[in-house]
Amino acid sequence: MNEMELLRDLAQETPLPAPADLDAARARLLAAITTDPATYTTAVAQVTTSPPGPPDGRPAGPLRPAAPAPVLTAAKFMHAGAIGTAALLIVVLAFSWDINLYHWTTGHGHQDTTAQLRQLRPLIITVVAAYGLVVTAMWLWMARATSRGKNWARILSTVLFGLATLQLTGNQGVLDMFFAVLTWLTALPAVWLLWRPASSAFFKSAKAARSRPPSHISGP
Amino acid sequence: MRRRREPAAADDAAVIESSWRDPEQFAVLFDRHAPHIYRYLARRAGRQVADDLVAETFLAAFAKRDRYDLGHPDARPWLYGIATNLVGQHRRDEARQYRITQAAPAEPADPGHADRVAADVTAQAMRTLLEAALAALSAGDRDVLLLIAWEQLTYQEVSRALAIPVGTVQSRLHRARMKVRQVLAGTDAGATYEELTTNE
Repeated sequence: MNEMELLRDLAQETPLPAPADLDAARARLLAAITTDPATYTTAVAQVTTSPPGPPDGRPAGPLRPAAPAPVLTAAKFMHAGAIGTAALLIVVLAFSWDINLYHWTTGHGHQDTTAQLRQLRPLIITVVAAYGLVVTAMWLWMARATSRGKNWARILSTVLFGLATLQLTGNQGVLDMFFAVLTWLTALPAVWLLWRPASSAFFKSAKAARSRPPSHISGP
Repeated sequence: MRRRREPAAADDAAVIESSWRDPEQFAVLFDRHAPHIYRYLARRAGRQVADDLVAETFLAAFAKRDRYDLGHPDARPWLYGIATNLVGQHRRDEARQYRITQAAPAEPADPGHADRVAADVTAQAMRTLLEAALAALSAGDRDVLLLIAWEQLTYQEVSRALAIPVGTVQSRLHRARMKVRQVLAGTDAGATYEELTTNE
């Protein structure tokens, strides 16, 4: 008998616990499960996608799996990105009358004189507003699509993140750089979360759910 | 491409994967492994602390379940790793547990059987020595030794549990065994140990 066997003998003195000994621990785990965001979304998905279906007897849509916590968190980051972009757009538009500020924030990359800028101001404001609105809309669109398990949205989000990374390397003014860094810092965790194993499983199961034939529910 | 797992499949990875969408599935993992994790924690830190630690182990596992590598069908090393880390935060409880078990008297033997009495005395002496030897080990060496000796984990499983290379597992185990042997052989009761080891 060597020391390992002696240790095993020593271990035998501790029996397995009775089921009642684990009740308290199990209750704590179940409480944590109940308060988990994924549990909530599962319950909501069951309520919103379960029978009864449309009263006219049309087929009910396929059951969509609930988004796991990483996807929900990624969507929150995207919503934060949309809010940040919109807020920045409002600030930019609020100070659009200040030509000197424009010179300072856009750096020395442009050759326009102050007089030319005054003339171009309506065009610049329109372009900036359109760009800001498009970026805001993209954030919201990606958040909605990824939450619904659209894999193309995950891929597009990653591509857009790549473009945001390239934007960091450009010769820009203070405002452009601030916007680029803000976008990048918000997108980084979102994209990282979208590629977690739990997220990948969700996108796969969402695709499988969409490819299943819809269940037919008879009307009343 | 990884094989698609269904929730009904027996392995732990399938249960964890299904718990990503349906968290209640995680209770299956608790029912499956909690008794053994509890016993491991009770051995190391005492029953009083084990009650709390087993809950904390599964709460931590539940919180980290989306990071579980589905390439490992057996979740025991993962759970033992979390449990061991928690024991590390309760070193004082563990040290106290060793003192308690060293001080515990041997089970009363039937006074009519001299051999039985002698065997009980020997067992008690060996147990005291083992507990002392375990208490003298470094935390890392003790973790490896006990996961292998008590929980029957393989080198690879211990490597996964403690996030250390297999070579480190082997060297720690070797060092721990040497130290335990030295403690057992370096006392009066060492003669008993020598007899036991030579009669293998």
